[in-house]
Amino acid sequence: MDESLTRRQLIEQLACGMGALSIPGSGVLGADGNPLAAKVPMFPARIKRMIFLFMQGGPSHVDTFDYKPELAKSDGKNIDFTGVRFGTFGKKSQRRLMGPLWKFRQYGECGQYVSELFPYQARIVDKLCFIHSMHTNGVAHGPTTLFMHTGATNLVRPSLGSWLGYGLGALNPDLPVFVSLSPSTANGGPRNYGSAFLPAAFQGTAIGRAGLPVARAGIKNITNSRIRGATQLRQFELLQALNREQRRRAGRDDRLDADIGALDLAFRMQTAAPTVMDTAGETAATLKLYGIGEQPTDDFGRQCLLARRLCESGVRVVQVNYSDQTPNPMWDQHANMPKHADHALATDKPVAGLLVDLAARGLLDDTLVWWGGEFGRTPFAQAKDGRDHNPRGFTIWLAGGGLKQGYAHGQTDEIGHYAADDPVHMHDLHATILHMFGLDHEKLTYRHAGRDFRLTDVHGKVVTQLFA
Amino acid sequence: MAQGSSTSRFASIASVLLLAAVAVAQDSTYSQSGDSEGGLWWAFRPVREVAVPKTRTTGWTRGPVDRFLLAAMEEVGLQPVQASDPRSLIRRLHYDLTGLPPTPEVVERFASDPSDAAYENLVDSLIASRQFGERWGRHWLDVARFAESSGGGRSLMFKNAWRFRDYVIDSYNADRPFAQFLREQLAGDLLQFESDDQHNRQVIATGFLELGPTNYEQQDKQLLRMDVIDEQIDTVGRVFMGMTLGCARCHDHKFDPVPIEDYYALAGIFGSTELLTRGNVSGYVERELRGPGLRAYHVHQKRQKSVQQQLKLLRKAKAPSKRAFQQDALRGIVLDDVDAKRVGKWVSSTHVAGYLGRGYIHDDNKSKGKKSVRFVPDIPNDGEYEIRLIFTSGPSRATNVPVEVTHAGGNQQVSVSQRSVGSAGGEIAPVGQFHFEKGRLGAVTVKTSSTNGHVIVDGLQLIPIGEAKEKALRAPADKRAALAAQRRDRQTALEAELARLKKAAPPAPPVAMAVRDVAKPKDGHVHSRGLPRTLGAVVPRGFLTVCGDARPSIPPTESGRRELAEWLADPKHPLVARVYVNRVWHHLFGTGLVRTTDNFGKMGERPSHPELLDWLAANFVRRGWSSKKLIRELVVSAAYRLRTAANHAPDPDNRLLSHANRRRLDAESLRDTILVVSGQLDPKMGGSTIRKFSTYDYGYAFESNRRSVYVPRFRGTRLEMFNVFDAADPNLVTGRRINSHVSTQALYLMNSPWVMRHADFAARQLLVEADQDVNQLLDRAYLRTIGRLPDVEERRLAREFLARFSSDNQTKAWGQLFHTLFACLDFRYLG
Repeated sequence: MDESLTRRQLIEQLACGMGALSIPGSGVLGADGNPLAAKVPMFPARIKRMIFLFMQGGPSHVDTFDYKPELAKSDGKNIDFTGVRFGTFGKKSQRRLMGPLWKFRQYGECGQYVSELFPYQARIVDKLCFIHSMHTNGVAHGPTTLFMHTGATNLVRPSLGSWLGYGLGALNPDLPVFVSLSPSTANGGPRNYGSAFLPAAFQGTAIGRAGLPVARAGIKNITNSRIRGATQLRQFELLQALNREQRRRAGRDDRLDADIGALDLAFRMQTAAPTVMDTAGETAATLKLYGIGEQPTDDFGRQCLLARRLCESGVRVVQVNYSDQTPNPMWDQHANMPKHADHALATDKPVAGLLVDLAARGLLDDTLVWWGGEFGRTPFAQAKDGRDHNPRGFTIWLAGGGLKQGYAHGQTDEIGHYAADDPVHMHDLHATILHMFGLDHEKLTYRHAGRDFRLTDVHGKVVTQLFA
Repeated sequence: MAQGSSTSRFASIASVLLLAAVAVAQDSTYSQSGDSEGGLWWAFRPVREVAVPKTRTTGWTRGPVDRFLLAAMEEVGLQPVQASDPRSLIRRLHYDLTGLPPTPEVVERFASDPSDAAYENLVDSLIASRQFGERWGRHWLDVARFAESSGGGRSLMFKNAWRFRDYVIDSYNADRPFAQFLREQLAGDLLQFESDDQHNRQVIATGFLELGPTNYEQQDKQLLRMDVIDEQIDTVGRVFMGMTLGCARCHDHKFDPVPIEDYYALAGIFGSTELLTRGNVSGYVERELRGPGLRAYHVHQKRQKSVQQQLKLLRKAKAPSKRAFQQDALRGIVLDDVDAKRVGKWVSSTHVAGYLGRGYIHDDNKSKGKKSVRFVPDIPNDGEYEIRLIFTSGPSRATNVPVEVTHAGGNQQVSVSQRSVGSAGGEIAPVGQFHFEKGRLGAVTVKTSSTNGHVIVDGLQLIPIGEAKEKALRAPADKRAALAAQRRDRQTALEAELARLKKAAPPAPPVAMAVRDVAKPKDGHVHSRGLPRTLGAVVPRGFLTVCGDARPSIPPTESGRRELAEWLADPKHPLVARVYVNRVWHHLFGTGLVRTTDNFGKMGERPSHPELLDWLAANFVRRGWSSKKLIRELVVSAAYRLRTAANHAPDPDNRLLSHANRRRLDAESLRDTILVVSGQLDPKMGGSTIRKFSTYDYGYAFESNRRSVYVPRFRGTRLEMFNVFDAADPNLVTGRRINSHVSTQALYLMNSPWVMRHADFAARQLLVEADQDVNQLLDRAYLRTIGRLPDVEERRLAREFLARFSSDNQTKAWGQLFHTLFACLDFRYLG
């Protein structure tokens, strides 16, 4: 009763001419009253699912994919930069430029530059679609990480994955619609996969958490630690028999049916989900491709492999997190940029392996892969050999789902500080991702607190140049 | 109650027609004068004095509430269903008033004597119980978006937020008049008080304004400030008025009569209220609570600070930082910038490394000509000295710093460049050679007039030349040694004093998260498109122009929160009482008279019974804004005591309340009930419950058998059960919780080790205290969990299940049975 639209609400909402119903022909609930039932996109979709490889902390674009010969030449030079942090906001101050710490070389037919940090990704550049002109809101990790996930630095808003669940429903009713693997509880934590004011059914499901090996992670309460098999079935049958009796006494009430249905689904999930999580059936060649069984790639390799298995089984959005539990996560090298090499070693092979595996299985045609951090790093040095956060210009790459391949969109300025040509704001990326899923970011709205909310607020434009 | 299929088509047409009739009947009082064109939207019109309607039948009604409801039912030909059976009724009442289940004894006693007197006695005793405040306080904490951490980037702990939680619970138990409750939360710090306790209570109440989801890490502090103000305006608007004011941050409200100026009139009030402290990651304001030792504490603190300050100065003069170059390595006489006399405002800095002593100072490139720094060296011997200026170089520096030297022969001005490294090596620029005489005034003044960049002063060096040289190197050494000894003695004395003070320190007074007015309250600007740096016209502080007198006179030293509170608490305010009584109605009947409890604007719904709502609001104010009287009035009504039934035409949403709505236990009641049944509930009231304090709430491990209202509420890490069963999201004002029916709930009930553990406790307790007849055990298990006896079919199913276990496996058997009961529908719903 609470969650369905009443006729009266419907009439009022239509009367006000705002098109309160965002999905043609359906409300929050799908056809069978299940909020996660699959829904028809607004227009033909390019993709069905997405894997986001989140490089938390902000990998340096000028040391990885954004080749800036001018920056190398100007190493050591002092230049005025306008501050963006507390205490320096809007003020100019002198900073020393620091050239890339790793050598760049061109790869593939497309000739995209990649630094020696990423030898494996360098081999697949012809599959990738780079955006060198990303920029975003916020400066510190928390606000910017939230902005990347929810389109807002401070105000509480639903995450991208929740919006997708709300707009499209699940591909497999026995599995969650949106999974975040090993997410950090820091820097916004659960809000990064939260549903905010959208119905709770669209909340992301966390599997494991940052800092724990994913090999031991699972969906919460997916198995019973005491009783299994026939014993559990006997208890479950008693429960549902009691429920049917109580349901009979109560008279018609959709909510009671929904709860009985949720119990049935949960019982089925107990079987379905662990099967997806179990990688025992994978061949040695596949494990090797992801760097599983060797260090330092084992854990991130397992996450990437799980992402593929979840996608294959019908999870729509999988976020793979390379992160930890600290306020200054993984790629956040304010000092000691050479530490980037450790993170590159841990992630490069699994990331490339995932792409190769998805392509080999034909999944890349309707799956979007997004690699990137919440921001990049400054071309100028911090302390001796660190770099600060740079939300003004950075690189991400996308792949799959009918995107141009071996393509690079936009540019930063000569030293890699500001997005200069064809800038793509994080709002634009959100709009583009929704578009690829067949959803119009201006029409995918939800009414809350008296107005219609969107992932992109009043911003965002689809970057059609990326499409093949 | 299923509709016959052959008549369903007719029934559905009839129901649409009747629905229309219901709608017209309900809206007639407002729609006649038009509520969209010209006329004022219903919620902004004054609350009317309404006569209680006459009804055709009278037998059923117990009071005015029932007569309003019955009159509306009679208009569409509906009749109320039968009264609820006593056991269901008593379970409903217990949860509604205390959030806890009735004991089997209470259930059975009422079942044997379900008289009105017995019912009303029970109502009175439950309203007087302390659990009443825990239940209704929790409802208020939902709308107050109460949490004990900030959420956002770094989820900062709010270590003293529990005081606000206890204040709310206490306010319900004390039946604090709602108008006063409102005043205290918005402006308690500005209200008069007669005792320390009253002062403390009122200050704690203002935590309401500070407990929101604030991203203290936001670097653009102007934007952060506006976001906090926005959150306060939105919260106050929704909590007290059911208005969504956030829309007016960027433009006039699209649906409700709230121009952008009204928003910024309120923003001026909250802008004049302080709750953020400065820092890279900002903090929140805390205020001291009064008590007997407060004055002594402050005297002591002042003394300790003074000693600390003296020690700091001593150490600063003595120990240069590692980064700085060593004073002793320099030749001759060296003066640090701290030894010079400053005119005008100079900024201390350590930004560019390689400075002398603890840092250097600069003129901030401002107020040129009005600032200067004057060194007066103590000349040990007559003679020639080379004067050198010590600074830190950089491209922002001036190239034409005037340095005036007052020497034995007069005054001379020299220009020095600080943009590049000084020619004397290091960042030291030679000023020239001058003759100084012992005992005669010699000085070096660094000026800023007409300089073309930052002027830096780090120190001054005088190198004796020729005959002055040798003496200089000897004499000052002795003096320095004497000075050093003197300093050492003084430092030892101060350190001893500090140690003594620290040992004798009285305990720090308790603090509360609470706001205060800024030093200089002022009106704010309209911010075009809500951006903090695009300023429009100044708007005088005030309220919403659509309700009452919106332009108060505010004392120059105050923010205007007191006036805002008075404006809201005015009995003539059209929204405040209506919104509040509707919130109470929602909790007792499962749905509000206005179903959108937090939105009374045009995007919200209209009331199903506008006259009843007005009657309740007016009566509530007249009876002293008493929540207890209001709640009592509602639960003794006949309507509250009806049985549940399936919804049906002509009222498919049961807006007319011809039967009770089936309601689901909320997350807190579900958890508390399992703890009661397992015998594990710790009934202690109040206090801080966060086990260990860390800066953030990441990965907090919840281990508590206290009532759910006392389990720490964080915005980052939340108790799993609260998350799964739709407890209010503390980021949002929640007058009406979401009710989801998802498989994570089912998985939790089926497999959570916590549920199974408590099912075992429940089984052990049952088997120890009751006799061993299986039917009696079953009765008891049912009464404890569901508050009734099993029906024939349930008894058969349960006995069949239990029969599979051997006699020495009874704890296991009953553990599984309790586990099953915890997951069944009737446990989770109030029938």
